[in-house]
Parts: sequence; C-alpha cells; structure tokens
Amino acid sequence: MQPDSAVLIGLAAAALAFAVIFTPLATSRRALLFKGGTGLAGSAAIAAVPSFDLSLLILLALGVLHASIEGPRAFAVRLRAPVVAVATMAIALVFAHAQGSDAVQRFAAVGLVAGLAAAVGLLPYMHPLEPDEPMTSSPIPWIAFVGPVLAAVVVFRAQQLLGQDAGGVFGGLLIGLGLLNIAWGSVSAWLTESEVAAWRYSFVADWGLVLCGFGVTLADGGRAALLVLFSIIVGRLPLYIASRQALRDRSVAQRPINYLVAGALAGSAPFVGFVARILLLRAATQLYWPLALALALGMLLWLPGSLRLGRSLAVPRGRQAIGVSLVLALNVAAGLYPLPILLAARL
Amino acid sequence: MPSAAVLGPVVLPLLAALVVAVFGLAGMNLGRLAAAIGAWGSAAALVAVWLPVRSSLELLLGQLGYGSSLDLRVDGVSFVFGLMIVVPAALLLTLQPRTWPEAAVSLLAVASAMAAVEAGGVVLTAIAGGPAATLAVILLDTEDPRASRPSWSLLLAGWLALSWVGVVLQVEGGTAVYSAVPLTAVTSPVFTLLAASAILVSGLFPWRSWPTRLWARPSLRAAGITLATLYPLGFYLLVRAYELGNGRYPHPAFNVVLALLGLAAAVVAAARAQAVASRREFLGEVIPGMGGFALTAIALGTPLGLVAGLVLLGTAAAFVACLALLPDRAGLAPLVTIAAAVGLPPGLVFGSRALGIEATFEAGDFLGLIGVASAAAWAMWMVGGARAIGLPGGRGHPASETFPRIAMVIAAVTMVAGPALAAIQLGLANPVAADVMQASAGSLSGGLTSVVTVSSSLPVVTLFVPLLGMVVLFYAVTNMSAIHTQARPPIFTLPTPRLLDRARAAIRSAAVPEQYRTVLSVRELEAAAAGGRPVLWLAALIALAFAVTR
Amino acid sequence: MVAGVAAFVAWLGASIIVLGDGRRALALGVVFATAGMAVIAWQNAGTAAGVAIAAGGAIAAARRAVSGPDGWRIMPPGSTPRLVLCIASGLVVLWIAAAVTTGPGASLRFTVMLVAGLMGARVLAGEDPPVLLTATSVLALAVALPAAMGDGSVGPWPYVAAAVIAGTIGWLPLRTASAA
Repeated sequence: MQPDSAVLIGLAAAALAFAVIFTPLATSRRALLFKGGTGLAGSAAIAAVPSFDLSLLILLALGVLHASIEGPRAFAVRLRAPVVAVATMAIALVFAHAQGSDAVQRFAAVGLVAGLAAAVGLLPYMHPLEPDEPMTSSPIPWIAFVGPVLAAVVVFRAQQLLGQDAGGVFGGLLIGLGLLNIAWGSVSAWLTESEVAAWRYSFVADWGLVLCGFGVTLADGGRAALLVLFSIIVGRLPLYIASRQALRDRSVAQRPINYLVAGALAGSAPFVGFVARILLLRAATQLYWPLALALALGMLLWLPGSLRLGRSLAVPRGRQAIGVSLVLALNVAAGLYPLPILLAARL
Repeated sequence: MPSAAVLGPVVLPLLAALVVAVFGLAGMNLGRLAAAIGAWGSAAALVAVWLPVRSSLELLLGQLGYGSSLDLRVDGVSFVFGLMIVVPAALLLTLQPRTWPEAAVSLLAVASAMAAVEAGGVVLTAIAGGPAATLAVILLDTEDPRASRPSWSLLLAGWLALSWVGVVLQVEGGTAVYSAVPLTAVTSPVFTLLAASAILVSGLFPWRSWPTRLWARPSLRAAGITLATLYPLGFYLLVRAYELGNGRYPHPAFNVVLALLGLAAAVVAAARAQAVASRREFLGEVIPGMGGFALTAIALGTPLGLVAGLVLLGTAAAFVACLALLPDRAGLAPLVTIAAAVGLPPGLVFGSRALGIEATFEAGDFLGLIGVASAAAWAMWMVGGARAIGLPGGRGHPASETFPRIAMVIAAVTMVAGPALAAIQLGLANPVAADVMQASAGSLSGGLTSVVTVSSSLPVVTLFVPLLGMVVLFYAVTNMSAIHTQARPPIFTLPTPRLLDRARAAIRSAAVPEQYRTVLSVRELEAAAAGGRPVLWLAALIALAFAVTR
Repeated sequence: MVAGVAAFVAWLGASIIVLGDGRRALALGVVFATAGMAVIAWQNAGTAAGVAIAAGGAIAAARRAVSGPDGWRIMPPGSTPRLVLCIASGLVVLWIAAAVTTGPGASLRFTVMLVAGLMGARVLAGEDPPVLLTATSVLALAVALPAAMGDGSVGPWPYVAAAVIAGTIGWLPLRTASAA
C-alpha cells in the first residue's frame, strides 16, 4: 500500500469515527458504523491489493453494495456511476497493456481519468442527488470517503501503466477536468437553490483542486492534492455531517462560528486549504504560470458559496459544537504545520 | 535576549484570547481587563525585544512543509509597524466595553497582525495576514451584520495574491525570506502582484472604500480594531518591497504609479471631506487621507520619503484610536482633533507632510509635481477642516464607547509632539530606512533637533517649539465661547457618487435576453450536468477521446 | 481459432444479455458469456483462472435462471437500438482489437472491451434490478481478464475475486426505492 493511500485511509477512519460520534440526526449509530466500516474496508482493500484489476473488482463490489442501500434514488440510478467507472477503467487497462500507436496509450489515459471522475462523481459524470436522501446512500460517500483513496490508487497505477506521452496526456486531462470542476463547483455552490446540492458542489470544487494537483506531476502538486484531500475528509465532510440537522430544519445563522466555518471551507488562512493552495500555486508556477493565474482566479470563487454553507450550519450546540470546534482546530493545526502529514505520506 | 522572545508579541494576545474564551464559555466575562493585559503585554514585549539592542532579533525553527520555515523576527520595520498595530488596539480594548467573544476575536486579530509583521518571509506574512482579515470581517459582522464592512473577497484576494508572490519568489529565487531573496527574482510582474496585494489589503483605492465607510457604523468598537490591525499591513508590504529590491522598486515607474495612487486617494478624500454633511463624515476621511499622503511619500523611493510616510502612518495609527473614542457632539475634543488631523502646525501631521512634500522635490522630475499637487490637496484639507468644525456632529455613538477627553489628549499629543519630529525620525523611522534602504539610508541625519537631508535642513525644534507656544498662547487668550460656528457650503461636490449609483443600478437591472434564458439558466444547466444522463456521459467520453488524438 | 470462437461466444452472450429482459434470456446470456470468457482466461492465464470464471458465471446464471422476470423477453418492442448497439459495437471493437491495437491476445482484448462496454451500456440504459445485477456479474468476470495481460505475478486471485463477486451479486436483497 502506498504511504499516501495509508494516510488517506487513516483520515477516512477518523472521519468515520467523527460521523458515528457526532452525527446529529437520529440515525442508528450501529448502522452508520457498519456501512461506513464497509466502505472503509473496501477503500483499504482497493489500496492494499497488488493489482489494479483487483482494485476495480473491489470498486465494483462497493458500488453494488452502496447502490443497494435503502434510499429514495433508484438502484439503477445509483449503480450507473460505479459500473461506468469500472467498465471504463477496465477498457483503459486493456489499452494500457496493448501495443500500437501512441493514441492507444492515450485512450488508456482517457479511460482512467473518465473512470475516476465517474467513480467519484465529478463533472461530467456527476451523480444525481436527492436533497432529502440519507447521507449513507447519497453520492457523498463516493466524493468524500472512498473517492480520495481511489484517486490516489488510480494516479499511482497510471504512473506505472502509462508511458511518457500518455502520462503527459493523463496529467493534462486531470488539469482540464480539474479546472472545469473548480469553476462549476464553486459557482454552483453559490447559486444552486438547494443547500444540500450546494454542499455537494463544494466537494466538487475541492476535487477540482485535487485533480489539478495530481495533474501537475511535480512533488508540490502531489502534496497539494494530499492536503486538499485532507481538508475534504477531515474538514468538509465532518462539517457537512454536522450541518445535516440544520439542513433538514432549514435553519441558518450568522455567528462567529459560522464565519470561521466559512473561512475553513473557503480555504482561507490559517486553515489547511490555504496551504494546499499555496503548494498548488507553486507547482503550477513551476509548470506553466498562466495555469497558476487561472487557479488563483478560480480560488477566489470559493468564498460566496462558503459563506452560504457556513450559514447553513446554523448554531452548533452541545456535542455538535465540540465536533465543529475539533474539526476547525485540526484544520488550523494542519494549516500551520502540515509537515507531519506530508512526511507520513512520504511526499 | 533569547530569540524566543520574538514570540512574545504574538503569543501573549493569543493566550489572552484563550483565557477570555475559556472564562467566557464558563459564564464569566473578564471584561476589558484580560483584553488590555493581552494587548498591552504584546506592546510591552515588542518594546522589550527591540529597545535593548535596537537590531534585528530572529527566531528560526524548522520547516513547516510548504517551502517556508517558521521564521519570526523583530527588526526596525516590524517594530514600527507592530507599534502601529498594537498600541491603538490596546487602547481601544482597554477603554471600550466588549462582550467576551468580541474581545477574544479582537485579540486574535491583533495576534495575527503582529505575526504578519514579524514573519520573516512573504509566504508566512500571507499565512498570518489572512486570518487578520477573516477575523476583522467576523468582528464587524458579529457586531452589526447590516453595517458596512470590507469585502471579504477582496481582502482574501489580496492575501492570496501575496502568497502567490511568495511562491514565485521561492520558485525563481529559491526563497521568500525578505532578507534573502535574490534581486533577480523581484521582477516587474512579481512586484505588480505585490503592489496589488498591498492595495487590496489596505483598501488603498482613490474611491470611497472600507477605511472610510467603517466610520459610518453605528458602533466603532469593531471598526477601530479593524483599522488598527488591517490598515497598516498594506503599507508594511510596500516597505518590505524595498528590502526585497535592495532598496528600490524594480522600475521607477512603480514609484510614480504608486505615488500617484496615493495622491489620488488623498485628493479624492480631501474633495469628499470638504463636501460632507456631518463632522463624523469628515473624520471618516481622515485616515484614508493620511494614508494617501503616506503612500505618496513611501512610494517616492527615497529615505526621506520613507521616513515621512512612516511618521504620518504612525500618526494615523494614533488617530484610529482617537477617532474611535471621539463622540459626535460638539466641544473642544473634536476641535482639537480636526486641527491636528488637517495638519495645523506644529503637529506631527504638519511636520510629516512637510517632509513628504520636500521629499518629492528632492526626488525631482515628475515627482516634484506630485509634491505641488500634495500641497494643493493639503490646502483642501484645511478648508474642509475649517468647514467641518461648524457641521453637525453625526448620528452619535453609544456613550459607553466614547471617551472625549482621551480622544482629545491623543490628538493634542500629536500636535504637541511636532517638535519631537526629529527625535521620532531618528529613533523609529531611521532604523526602518536602514533596514530596507541600506544603500541610501545614510543620506538622512540631523539628530534630535533637526532633520537634515541631501539638499536641506529642517530645524524642527527651533521652528516648531515657538509655533507651539504661539498656539497655546492664542488658545489661552481666545474666548472660545464667543466663537459661533456655522455650517458653510462646500467648495464643490464630486459627481462620482451619482455616476456610480447609476452604474450600479444599470448593472443590477441587467438581465439575460429572453431568448437566451433557457440556455443560460442555472437550473437548466444544473439539471443537465447533474442529472446523470447516459448520453452526456458517453458524449463526454467520446469528446475526451477525440481531444487526445489532436 | 479456439480463441476466436470463444470471443464470438462471449459476444453472443453479452448481446443476449443486452437484448433480453427475461430471466431465461439473461441466464442464457450469462452462460454464453461465461463460456467464452472462461476459455479466454484458460488460454491466457491457466486452468485455475478458467475454472474460476466458469464457476462464478455458472453460479450467476443459476441464480438468474430462478429469479427475475418470467420467460425470455428477447428483443421486446423498442429494442432495435440495442440490436444496433450489439452489432456496431462488435464490429468497432473487432477493428480496435485486431487493427488499432497490435500484438498477441487480440481475442482477449476484444472480449474485455466488448463485454465491459456492452455491460456498461446495459446498466446505463436498464432499470430492472435483475437485469442490472446480471450485467454487473458479467462485468465483474470481464474485469478480471486483463490480469492476463500483466506479468502474472498476482496469480489466479483476480479471477477468484471476480468469481466470488459475480456469484454473490445475484443474491443481493434489493428493496424498491423508498418514497421521498
């Protein structure tokens, strides 16, 4: 298992623990633990198995299990994305191993990128969302729980499978999709009518940064991607969990805590999102400075949506307040001193 | 002095904030005591670090993980700007009553701003300055969400731009530490970004922006802290830019442009100030006006200009506290405040503006014309100040927040301290010039009683002390009760507010033409993109495959 | 020759799954697809791989034969696009496997791409859980086949895992979507 995958699995485990302890809704903690544990075990298996075929099979199994969880969306709707992801990546695997012109390997790159986007639920393969859907059956586990580990595995495998030319194409596709998701996610988080959809789009926007980080095949890009994934798993996801009750009650608030949450979600200093952005800008500047300019402009789009999401948390009380404070403190600590995380991931 | 002492000015307000928060959550409001201890402790620590040795003290710990080490230092620049931040904030925290969340957030803002000026590199400054902006927004919105505040987006854009400057310096020069960046890394595009960051961070615009609008808030508790912690930071960046460039900006055009920007800010503030309807509105233009003059002086690129700008900025910092404590009723306090603010002799404002104008003449060429324009703007301020004395006070502020005598004392001190201009220049501003303009800093001399420049000598004590005596004499012999002020009409009014209002109304009423609404409808686009439609997915796959074959 | 026939049988099976809605048609499709893929796996990765694929497919077919919509329902009304898909995809993938990509293992490439593609399309267009589960089972078996294109260091484990998944998916208890 790659060190960065191990770190992400550890973070996912922490997020699961947070969800079980701090979930505000009247859900069975045991059921949450079981479903989350299954997802965590599946993610760990995806990272731990020695071949990519096995990873795809585990992904397929996870997809079927997730689609079978009771929820308002039809089984068919929920199954589509993981099946398309697995099928696309399996075909990509064939192209990667096959001999032929350069275009063959490039098709492999396309398949891997498209498959990753489909599995995670990014543009143009976004999963349909029902606002009233329980979180466990919604697309959120893909984008915030299983997706990070899967992304690390796919990027690692791509580096092994693809040659130099196709590797460049792989990086370029990731950057292109990344910029698209940054723009779409951040603007949609601001303008969409549903608060739940706004949260989902905020995840999409963050994933745009992740894709750009992975696409910029420099060390700083990988570090940036890891820190953004950290902010997703240990920041955005727990805050989304904490906001679930308020989303149901449609209550909003504008207290200092809501602004702090907005700042964390917007990636402002001293939260970990800011440091991730610094690393990403550095990587992009080294590669091609207009990319850094585009990223910097895109980063400004986070704030309006984040203000909205911060308000949607309402006023956390009791256990919720402790949970939110813990999340913010962890994000500040990681933002001021991210070195241990990067060292653990050997980046 | 152990190098860990540089942590004091940052850690003390942090600890105080923690204590205030813990006790507050337990139901006990520690009031102004803890906040005052934290803020004054920070000031004392800063002085204690700097004064014994009066040279740079640096703390360098390990790498943080993003190309920067934990590098904090107290040198002349951070000392002066640290004082500008912490002293007015400490005064306000000591005097004005606050709830415990407000006190805690204010202390955190002070700690952030102090960390920003103590940071040894550009990236660290950005990481420390960003929270100061966020905390200011939190403070302002918590106090009154309907009152005006700085645009959070613009503030964050400024700090993001600065962080980009930092990473570019790391990439091009290998480091973003102020004292170690190679000269070749500080190119014109990099400096443009840095200057843009400084302008955004401090709101140094020639139009009416947040440093003016904050003074119109019903309460000035948060406004005072915001201006104390945020406003100096943009100037700090421009001063540090000299250190990056080994004493100058990458191109003389930057000096001219920034000086013109400062002049425009000062002139437009003066034009607004002489046309306002209340005294509070006039006083709201004081800080931007002083900032504009300070920017002009700092941007000149000469040690004299830098010194003049710093003295003016320091005086502006004092006025932040003064104006936040000043009530909106008539009396001696607003009279003294206005007199000091417009630059009546022999005040510090007068002296520093005089030095600033002289600096433009010494710089020569086009910059000399800027000096002439500055003098004209100054005259407009005088007129505006004279008019403002007769204006109605304003909407008023809670009495518990205002301390007219203390405000008057602050203003009076800036007047009386005019003769000490040379001493202030020698003790505070010259070390800054020595830090950032090492090559040319020696052109300033003169000791405690006069300011001696390349082409002139200003015997400050000799000139200003008699002036001060005359002012005191005139005040003593004048029967103030016989003076009846009346509101006079403005010389002119700026048409820009009406134009801006019309432009804003036009933008707000703009709409997508009917025939394109379905194409550009957010709801339709969202349904198409997030509907999970197989056709879209297949089309995207084919499009990607086609794209890679090109 | 054997590989070519196996690939054709796999295509036939996948096409029956695409064109059929009844449990008998689905089961038959699974049988054919499994048979073709088992032979391909046996030829490229050894006996264990072939046996695993065959076992997994057999269990999936057996499960499908007793659960799901009654009868055959092959080519119901409105299934012309599906027929076109089966034929067109077969031709396109054949061209890719034989001409665009080169080297040995054309049958393997053809089988994987075709079965994965058709099963993916079936899931995209389908609504019925039995149909979806059947397609997913067959997809699982197809995903294991590319393991033969690697260095073989993982042994038969991808095929075993695929067989387990394919065999157990059909037993998944599914409820209808809960009311919003």
